[in-house]
Amino acid sequence: MSMYFKLAWRNLFRNKRRTLIAGIAIGVGLASLIMTNALTLGMKDNMIATATSSFLGEGQIHRQKYRETGDVDLTINDLDTVTARLTDDPRIKRYTLRVWSYGMIASPVNVSGISVVGIDPATERYLSQVDDAITDGEYFSGDNRRDIVIGSKLAEIMEVKIGDRVVLTTAQAHSGDLAQEMFRISGIYHFNVEEMDRGMAFVRLGVAQEILGLEGQVHEIVLKFTQSDIGMDEKHPFWSEYSEDGNEAVAWTVLLPQIKVAFEMSDLSTLIVGIILFAVVSLGIINTLFMSLYERMFEFGVLRAVGTRPGGMAVLILYEAGALAIISIIIGGIIGFVGTYILSQVGIDYTGIEFVGVTFRKLLYPVLTPSQFIVFPFWVFLFTVVVGLYPAWYAARMTPADAMRKSM
Amino acid sequence: MAGNEQHDVIVARDVRKTYAENGVPVEAVRGVSFTITSGEFSALVGPSGSGKTTLLNIISGLDSLTSGEVLLDGRELSAMSGRELSDYRRDSVGFIFQAYNLIPVLTVEENVEYVMLLQGVAKDERRERVHTILTELGLEGFAHRLPPKLSGGQQQRVAVARAIVSEPALILADEPTANLDSKTGAELLDMMRELNQRRGMTFLFSTHDTMIMERARRLITLKDGMIDSDTGES
Ligand SMILES: Nc1ncnc2c1ncn2[C@@H]1O[C@H](COP(=O)(O)OP(=O)(O)OP(=O)(O)O)[C@@H](O)[C@H]1O
Ligand SMILES: [Mg+2]
Repeated sequence: MSMYFKLAWRNLFRNKRRTLIAGIAIGVGLASLIMTNALTLGMKDNMIATATSSFLGEGQIHRQKYRETGDVDLTINDLDTVTARLTDDPRIKRYTLRVWSYGMIASPVNVSGISVVGIDPATERYLSQVDDAITDGEYFSGDNRRDIVIGSKLAEIMEVKIGDRVVLTTAQAHSGDLAQEMFRISGIYHFNVEEMDRGMAFVRLGVAQEILGLEGQVHEIVLKFTQSDIGMDEKHPFWSEYSEDGNEAVAWTVLLPQIKVAFEMSDLSTLIVGIILFAVVSLGIINTLFMSLYERMFEFGVLRAVGTRPGGMAVLILYEAGALAIISIIIGGIIGFVGTYILSQVGIDYTGIEFVGVTFRKLLYPVLTPSQFIVFPFWVFLFTVVVGLYPAWYAARMTPADAMRKSM
Repeated sequence: MAGNEQHDVIVARDVRKTYAENGVPVEAVRGVSFTITSGEFSALVGPSGSGKTTLLNIISGLDSLTSGEVLLDGRELSAMSGRELSDYRRDSVGFIFQAYNLIPVLTVEENVEYVMLLQGVAKDERRERVHTILTELGLEGFAHRLPPKLSGGQQQRVAVARAIVSEPALILADEPTANLDSKTGAELLDMMRELNQRRGMTFLFSTHDTMIMERARRLITLKDGMIDSDTGES
């Protein structure tokens, strides 16, 4: 009945300060929920982008067992067929080929065990950020076969700079014979990721294949999709289509399983934050409703005396809860939007911090979505009204005479 | 509507009410029996604490009774649900309390209209009846004011307007003049007496006020929760 709504609405504005404080309290709860969610989404986006664009790609193809053993002999079967298929596959935006081996890098000063990666600089630059991370020298300009690009930490240990010579020793595939080759430092990168900065060196794909005795063969194809959700979907048919002839295609989430755990954890923490907030908020609502109920006891008695049914009293209180929820939602929506918007303009600097194997390389931007302003407010509304059931029930069942005596 | 033929509006038989005050039983009403017939203009009198308010609350269903029997228009009160009692009060009883009768967030007009809203009276009729009653009680100019902006006497008149607007058979008034000066109180009482005579509405007061006692046609005197004397209808 609209009269109850009118009464409820006016009652709420009777003690403007209290309503405002309660509204802000609930609103801040809602705003925190919105912001937590926006940050979580932003963090996911950031982690996905960081993980997939730094080096991993959105998916990879290897020979079966290669991932587990790292055996240099296990190169991709029928490479030409696979690359031909990939080239024609509309789902694939880019791909690049890599050869991997373990080796020793030696400078006049020091020796260090590293992973040597043979890459195709032209296509590799679309799938990793080695090129962007160059701090000194250049990323495979020209076509000097002796170019080697190493990490900043490694350069420090080896005490080498651009133009210095280093010797690379690796074991050849199949035969296991040692191969040695001299390179010249052409570029130094700084990724801010320990393993990459001290444990890796990049050479041209052709050179690596030659040293290892793997002409025309590679260990790894790194993929980038036209639609990145394929990379997030381990069950996508794409993976089985390319997992044949002894090869194995896997999504990046398989290669970096910790990240899924991290996502689940951040979902869980959002949930926990939500539950705590709702618990606090609900106490606020109950408190507000009961405070206004107690100071109006006589009035409730009067309403009952003139013939308002017990159910009518409950409806009145529920409307008050609902009206409080609406006010709170407006306040919370505004705070949440403005707060998130400001953060999304400024960005949050987590760069350099590592989290489950992913190091943030870009500023974190919270992500605003319409559902944050539909789903969360809906929950706040529903929750407020549900919490209001208790005072409503209380108002409905109290004896009018007692009510009137209490506030006399 | 109060009928012309006389009938029993309230029958109280051996009504008892015991409150448990911190575990100590307080017998507020101890075996009270009386009958109020339609058209009466009667008052419950007696010293403070003698049980007047308790009795009024019990016979209107605002409070529960410990034992005894109350018949409202022939219906057994204790057999009625909270909802039925509410509806009975809505349709058959008008209440006037000592003070704070009105809902402060509703205007004078809305306060008076409230019961008719509950009854589902159509808007035009509501407005017309409110207008008529406010005019009758000299409150024409105050329809859109909020109660806190009215004097005590004006507020009590609004309370009377609300109590009578739907022409209930019974008006229960718990010390309606206690907060008023004697002139205002007398005016109000004359007005109620007129309603009683003209429309046959039944009035039952609770009071210490000699003005009411002078005007009442019957005085039921309570003492320690029991009837000390009853003048009967004169
Ligand atoms: N809720 C209650 N709990 C305990 N005792 C109560 C309660 N309500 C009333 N009483 C007691 O019952 C007795 C009757 O009270 P009641 O209010 O009916 O008196 P009254 O005649 O209306 O008095 P007054 O003229 O002061 O209004 C008093 O002794 C009072 O203290
Ligand atoms: Mg009293």
